[in-house]
Amino acid sequence: MRSPRKQPVGSTKAPKARFHLPWRDLLDVLALGAWSAMLFRYWFSGLLLLLLHPNYAWLSNSAAIVLAALAAYRLWQAFQSSKASRRRVNADKSSDNSGHVTLLPGNLSSAILLTVAVFGLIYTPQAFASQTATQRGIADTLTLTRAQPQRFARAAAPEDRTIIDWIRLINVYPEPDAYTDEAVDVEGFVIYPEGWPDGYLMLSRFVLTCCAADAYPVGLPVKLPEDSTVQQFPVDTWLSVSGRVATETLNGQRQIAIAPTEIQTIEAPKNPYEY
Amino acid sequence: MVQLNTGVTLFLSLLVEAIPFLLIGVAFSSLLLFFVDERWLVGTLPKNAFAGALVGSLLGVFFPVCECGNVPVARRLLVQGAPTAVSVGFLLAAPTVNPVVFWATWVAFRGQPEMVFLRVGCTLLIATAVGWVFSVQSDIGPFLQETVARSRFQDRTPIKQKSKGATSNAQSVLLQGGTFLQGPGNEMLQLDTPAAQRLVANPIVSQSPKSKLQLMIENVVRELRELGAVLVFGSAIAATVQVAIPREVILGLGQGMVSSILAMMILAAVVSICSTVDSFFALSFASTFTSGSLLAFLIFGPMIDLKNIGLLLTVFKGRAVFYLFALASLMSFAAALAVNLYLG
Repeated sequence: MRSPRKQPVGSTKAPKARFHLPWRDLLDVLALGAWSAMLFRYWFSGLLLLLLHPNYAWLSNSAAIVLAALAAYRLWQAFQSSKASRRRVNADKSSDNSGHVTLLPGNLSSAILLTVAVFGLIYTPQAFASQTATQRGIADTLTLTRAQPQRFARAAAPEDRTIIDWIRLINVYPEPDAYTDEAVDVEGFVIYPEGWPDGYLMLSRFVLTCCAADAYPVGLPVKLPEDSTVQQFPVDTWLSVSGRVATETLNGQRQIAIAPTEIQTIEAPKNPYEY
Repeated sequence: MVQLNTGVTLFLSLLVEAIPFLLIGVAFSSLLLFFVDERWLVGTLPKNAFAGALVGSLLGVFFPVCECGNVPVARRLLVQGAPTAVSVGFLLAAPTVNPVVFWATWVAFRGQPEMVFLRVGCTLLIATAVGWVFSVQSDIGPFLQETVARSRFQDRTPIKQKSKGATSNAQSVLLQGGTFLQGPGNEMLQLDTPAAQRLVANPIVSQSPKSKLQLMIENVVRELRELGAVLVFGSAIAATVQVAIPREVILGLGQGMVSSILAMMILAAVVSICSTVDSFFALSFASTFTSGSLLAFLIFGPMIDLKNIGLLLTVFKGRAVFYLFALASLMSFAAALAVNLYLG
């Protein structure tokens, strides 16, 4: 960015030779404003749910408001200072001297922030899918969720349990036979884990404790009906599966699997995570 | 393409989660900078080295600054005659042992609350120990940069100073020559104090509330701009590592007892992410790296990193910074290894 001094004199307003725009301040205003706008966008479009645990949405929403206020204040200040640009330059010099050591030049930092915010305004975040699940090791977490609930309430009816409820339950009491013939009704997306025999898929969900950074996948195996093919359920399709619990041996490990009575393809939910 | 999307979503998620905490942290440290005069504090600090180190480490509870705010504050503490143990303890612990960071870490590691307590506990331990070690040096002067050393209020520390010639003015202020102003209470303001001293000794505290508020907001914006840019870099690195490096490689590195700790400590030093938000960064590695290594990242990062070393060198000489670095890194490593070995 140019420093005010290099600004060609009288580029915009010829009669006022001394007038120049406070570029640095305007860049700040733009960066702050864009960040605020980005957070507002995620707030009102509901996209925030793809990024954060809903418990912390208020933090991001308050930040949006605070940033907007800061931007407005800076704009007002820039407006004031463009009227008295001379004094402004002096004030800048004195306030820059509070023992602060900078790593990056201020203008560069503002530019980076502005770029990221504009990008965030344009880009629509995508929910994680099978590829990420594999990367994050779904097989490792099959019977191990990272959240270790201190209080454990058994969800009333088996058919009301979500995938994460099931996994937590199994975590506490792993014997698959204990659940035989219980009713299952869960929703999730399709993964075909490596090393599993044909005819099985994993119905998975991502679980969030804080934000998308710690989303980890959990899943329940589904034994596909004899007459169905893998092509019917491509990777990443969302399914609603209802059926009964059975015990299967997958990868040399006895575990529960769903013997489905009904498999339906559904729309990806607006909030794909469970908590 | 999917990978790119995942990476970008991860990146944005880290930013969106971290920005509120960065705002809070920056607001607090600016508030502190312009509304608190550390001079009242210096008089009440314990003289005992161990107690001083401990108190210094705990000062962060009242001074919630992250690692960029703490160096100027520690410098002012030193200049105003706070014992070395206190200043060093504060320097190392304040960015971690404070309510904002505690909260942020709690939010991030809600699933593993032990991480939060281990982080605070180990930091306290290390900072107190290092502060204690530094207090063995009875005069910290030779360790400080010239400008800082010269501008210290030597008259406030009437400890047996083996006067090394030059400017040993361990007398009452009034026994020195010069022009004085009677401040509120018994405070004396010497008008011809060295320029450096007046600059470092928080000159803004004496301004009017309105201009202080203005300066504070200005400072908030400046720190936000700067730390925000570092946060952007940090999040970008975290997201890239997550999606670009094959899982086998990360797992191979991240599951090793020692290699994971070393990797995370190097990452902590390089990434220089602000302590109020580094727990979210660490969180993105939680599924692949050992708990000990995450702990090492969370303890060591706020104490020493690239950004911080530059700041530290404005206060301490290279040798002292090296000692700080060596002690902090070795102790963080030991703590992390202990967690890996005994807590799994």
